[in-house]
Amino acid sequence: MAVIARLERVTYTYPGADRPALRDVSLAFKPAEVVLVVGGSGSGKSTLLRALAGLVPHFHGGVFAGRVTVLGRDTRQARPRDLAGDVGFVFQDPESQAVMTTVEREIAFGLENLGVEPRAITRRVEEALIALGLSRLRHAELSTLSGGELQKVALAAVVATQPHLLLLDEPTSQLDPVSSEDLLAAVRRLSEDTGATIVLAEHRVERCLHLATRVVYMAHGAVVVDDDPQGFARWAAPSRRELLPPVARLFVQRAGPDGVQRATGPAPDRATRTEERLPMTVKDARRLLEEDLERGEILQLQPAALSGGATAAELPSRETVLEVRGLSAALEPGVPVLERIDLRLRRGEVVALMGENGAGKTTLVRHFNGLLQAATGEVRLLGRNVAGLTVAQAARSCGLLGQNPSAYFVKDTVADEIDYTLDQLEVEGGDRDRLRARALAAFDLEALLARNPRDLSGGERTRVALAAVAAGDPPLLVLDEPTRGMDPLHKAALGRLLGRLAAGGRGVLVVTHDVEFAARFAARAVILGDGAILADGPVHEVLDGSLFFSTQVNRLLRHRLPGALHEDELVWRSAEPADAPGVAHAEAGASGEAS
Amino acid sequence: MSAEAARGVRGCRRARPRPKRGLARLHPLAGLAYVMVLAFAGVVLNNPLQLCLLLAVILAALLVGRSLRAALPYLKVALYVAGFMAVLNPLFGGGGLDVLWEAHLPLLHIRVTIQGLAFGLGTALRLTAVISAFALYTVVLDADDQLALLSRLSFRSGLVISLATRLFPVLTRDGERIAEAQRSRGVELDAGGRRRRAAARLPLLAALTTQSLERAMDVAASMEARGYGRPGRTNWNKRRLVEPGDRFVVALALAAGVLLAAGLAFRFFAYAYYPLLDDPWPGLADPWWLLLFAALAAPIVWLALPHTRMSSLKAPTREARWR
Repeated sequence: MAVIARLERVTYTYPGADRPALRDVSLAFKPAEVVLVVGGSGSGKSTLLRALAGLVPHFHGGVFAGRVTVLGRDTRQARPRDLAGDVGFVFQDPESQAVMTTVEREIAFGLENLGVEPRAITRRVEEALIALGLSRLRHAELSTLSGGELQKVALAAVVATQPHLLLLDEPTSQLDPVSSEDLLAAVRRLSEDTGATIVLAEHRVERCLHLATRVVYMAHGAVVVDDDPQGFARWAAPSRRELLPPVARLFVQRAGPDGVQRATGPAPDRATRTEERLPMTVKDARRLLEEDLERGEILQLQPAALSGGATAAELPSRETVLEVRGLSAALEPGVPVLERIDLRLRRGEVVALMGENGAGKTTLVRHFNGLLQAATGEVRLLGRNVAGLTVAQAARSCGLLGQNPSAYFVKDTVADEIDYTLDQLEVEGGDRDRLRARALAAFDLEALLARNPRDLSGGERTRVALAAVAAGDPPLLVLDEPTRGMDPLHKAALGRLLGRLAAGGRGVLVVTHDVEFAARFAARAVILGDGAILADGPVHEVLDGSLFFSTQVNRLLRHRLPGALHEDELVWRSAEPADAPGVAHAEAGASGEAS
Repeated sequence: MSAEAARGVRGCRRARPRPKRGLARLHPLAGLAYVMVLAFAGVVLNNPLQLCLLLAVILAALLVGRSLRAALPYLKVALYVAGFMAVLNPLFGGGGLDVLWEAHLPLLHIRVTIQGLAFGLGTALRLTAVISAFALYTVVLDADDQLALLSRLSFRSGLVISLATRLFPVLTRDGERIAEAQRSRGVELDAGGRRRRAAARLPLLAALTTQSLERAMDVAASMEARGYGRPGRTNWNKRRLVEPGDRFVVALALAAGVLLAAGLAFRFFAYAYYPLLDDPWPGLADPWWLLLFAALAAPIVWLALPHTRMSSLKAPTREARWR
């Protein structure tokens, strides 16, 4: 089969960098392949995509060795603009790639550059708008769009050019679950209908592994694994489970040590031997579960999960740190975004705030520290009305990490950033040393201390900004999409850290589209929609049974073990004579009944 | 209004293009020509009263375009810089015969004169007029129209001008974000005296510069990857046909430009600050000035008239015909 793009022994080092971003990478991409590139922050995923687009080395400079060919053209000779008709690139930060001021014109921009006739541009713009569900925003100014909407526009602009090779750098990082599915469906359609090759770098594998025909795992700039999804799953099962979707992890758990060995062993007949396959989707998992239950395997909820899973920390004081009463806000007169919001957050809680793109989540949290003032209603921090405080004063009670971590960086090194926060809060002596050490250790920043925060990868930047906000130890910590661009290991570390912060007596509120993260680490979930709070309660109650704001495991087991949200809440065991075969069980008193 | 209804309102608002007002209703070339001649007038004119009237025309253009609020950040910057000039010039200018105050310092001889004060004021007015004309270009004219227009003339210079005109709004937005982020981590930006506030904001300036450079790099990478700079570019912008109203404005702008160029060459609009101040009032009755003022003010008066309708608002655009 013809090859669309090929990398041959590519090694590349950015200007001024002390180690290569790509090391001896050799890969070939065939037509209609959907290649998922996974790896930790700074593993070289984005650089790989930039090499395929010709931006490396043409745009970035640096030291380049090896050869990249795209549709037979060597990127050392062909500039990115020459490849533009064949290669489409959606960057990680959609805001930074917008050139024009309105949606329609932004989509048309690439087509104009390619010299497409105006009549054809009209049709292609229209198709792209429809495909991405953007028709109602066609005339909207880009500066008025939410991050998720911008991400869709960026994809629409590239889809409209109908490239042979589509490069997507974390395209769903700012999207809610529904929008994410829509976007990935559009990508799949493009690949199926036009034979385009898709190369997709993404941390949230549960969202896109099922689309992939091939998975490339990278670490330290090198390709570690290049296999089909099953092969990748077999490789990841023993030691890198965090790279697998939750339903796959559930079945890895079932396999146990023997099963893992079996799964990683040679599999000459993978397609037919279901016992050696790991599910990539809920649908796959359902079929496998049926087979397992018929064989007498039993799945049980762990006792901890039966009592509600992650819970608010047990603290001597459950003081209310945040109280929102009757809060209303409007974009402009007559166009309310939030209406009569009531919300209370206590010490020891980790609360996940979710909702579709544009629901008003960010608007709501910007009221917490006084960045926005309530049109009606009030916000109280530890009993004090925020209206009477400056934002900097409120920051002592409420640390807010916004969506753009780079906005927090005003110093040249990571260490200086932490010190700057402590200086501003006038923390001195032993307290200062303790808080500094804790921030560096908690956010895994020791190795980055001397680095400039702006030189770090997306996930690393988030960690540093979060450390800068949290260094002062405010009793309420609000994080707006903190897991964006974060790899699974750091995401899990962040989740555990938030738990520890809550256990230490702080209230934590996380705005997130990452349902798996919320299910695992939040005790309570709030869903915002239509300007109001649609649901507010323990995370197991709110997420259980939801169609979209729910986890893979819950969608798999909602009729068998209601309340189960993730695989760590479940345990497999073989049926005993007293057990009815083919039945999933919950312990006595569980919310999940045997079915 | 319920949130659902509100969403409907929002959807409807976004489903239609924002109506164009004031100079934005003109053909992009006509709008550009007019704004350029306003800026040129700001450079050429010297008489403080003439400069005041020029400023009034620019403010009227902002008002007619309903963009006065959007232009406020520019006007603030203009006033700060102009104020700085107005204060510094009399201290260090030294010229003029009517001395108000004098001081002999070891390395400096300060001599404040009426003429120096007037010159400082005049310079401040010129600067304000030029910056306000720049604001008019940025907030009233459609940036995408201008990019498309200039790309037809010279694509690369079109990019430079387009980025230059968008730089200030982007910097303003980024500056606000950085300030919000810093406040959110406890940095008190607004407390204390000017020196303390300036010290608190200094690190932000460096961050803003770095961020804007990063953003410029990102946008440039995006443009490159999307084929920017390839030969044979087409234009899909909703290009308006040139109409009588546009020709009228272009003709007036050309006339004003010629008058200004002639004035520069033949000193029609000359005004002396030193050694003694000229009387500014006769300048207002000067026939060359009256012609120039009429040429500059007429387009705004015409656009402000309630019955004025560009025929193109009824006629289909080329783009509409393509559809």
